[in-house]
Amino acid sequence: MIRIAAVGDVHVDKDVVGRYRPALEELPDRADALLIAGDLTRHGTVDEAKCFAEEFGGLGVPVVVVLGNHDHQSDQQDELTKVIEDAGITVLEGTATVLEIHGHRLGIAGTKGFGGGFAGACASNFGEREMKDFVGTAERYADDLERALKSVECDALVALTHYAPVPETLVGEPLEIYAFLGCYQLGRSIDAAPAALALHGHAHHGSERGRTPGGVPVRNVAHPVIKQAYNVYQLLSEEVDTTLIGAR
Amino acid sequence: MTSDTDLEAEIQRLLTEHDRIAEQGITVQRRDHLIVLGGEVESPQRRDEICRQITAHFPDLEITCDIGITRAQAPSEVEEIS
Repeated sequence: MIRIAAVGDVHVDKDVVGRYRPALEELPDRADALLIAGDLTRHGTVDEAKCFAEEFGGLGVPVVVVLGNHDHQSDQQDELTKVIEDAGITVLEGTATVLEIHGHRLGIAGTKGFGGGFAGACASNFGEREMKDFVGTAERYADDLERALKSVECDALVALTHYAPVPETLVGEPLEIYAFLGCYQLGRSIDAAPAALALHGHAHHGSERGRTPGGVPVRNVAHPVIKQAYNVYQLLSEEVDTTLIGAR
Repeated sequence: MTSDTDLEAEIQRLLTEHDRIAEQGITVQRRDHLIVLGGEVESPQRRDEICRQITAHFPDLEITCDIGITRAQAPSEVEEIS
C-alpha cells in the first residue's frame, strides 16, 4: 500500500508562511509522499520560492512538485527551481522520479502542461504563427510528459501536471476558459503510459474527479477545490482502510 | 463608456495582472446596484487587497465581498484509487 498526499495552487508568499505547516507536520503519519501540482508561488519570484521552500521543506516525507503558470510570471523559473531543489524538493518538468516505498516503486512523471482545449473546442495548429506556437507549446509539454511516463519502471505510476488533462475536472469553471485550463493532449499522454492516477491543479472552480478517455482516474487537487491542506490517495491497496490514523 | 460586460472583464484583468493581487480564481457577478466578488484566497490580507484595489480603480462601484479564505486543516479521510 502506498499513500500519496497531494495539493496544488498553494500560491505561497510571506502572508501564507505557517498556514499549512500544522497540517504538514502530520504528514509522516498520514502519507508516504507529498505531490504538489503547480502554482507554488504567487508571482514566481525567488523570494516567494524561499517562502515555499520554508513552508514545504523538511517534512519527513519526499516532496515532488511541478511548476504552474504563476511560477512563470517573473520569468525566473530556473532560479525558482534551484531554490526549491536546494530545500530537498524534487521539481519535475518533462522528467520522472522513482520513490521506494514499503518495498514498492512509486513512479512520478510530471510537467506543467499547457492549455489548448478539449474535443469539440480545441485550438488547431493552423493559421497565424502565434496560434501555431500556442498549440505547439501544448503538444511539446504533452510529448515530454509521455516520454517521462514511459521512462520509468515501477509498481505504480502517477502523472503530475498543473494544467488539466480532461474536461470533467473543469466542471464549475466557465466553458469559455476551458481552453486556457488544459488540453486533451495531456490526457492522451497519460493514457499512453498508462498511469494509475493523474493529479492536476489550476482550475480553482473545477470539480474533484474525472477519468481520461482510457480510464485513468484524474483528481483536481487545486487547494480551493479540495478545501484542506492536502488530499490523501491510496494506491496498491490490498484492503480498503479509509481512516488516516496509524496509516504507516 | 465602459459597458457592464467590459467592466467585469476589466475587473478580472485587474485581479490577475495587478502586482499585489495576481488572483485568477475570483468571480465577479453583477447585481442591480453592486458587484459581488466570490471565490477563495490564501489569506485575509489578499482578500482585503482585492477590495482595496477595486475600490481604488473603480471608485463609483459598490462592491460586496463574499471571498473566503481557503481552509488548510489536515484531512481525516483517504480515497482508495482503483
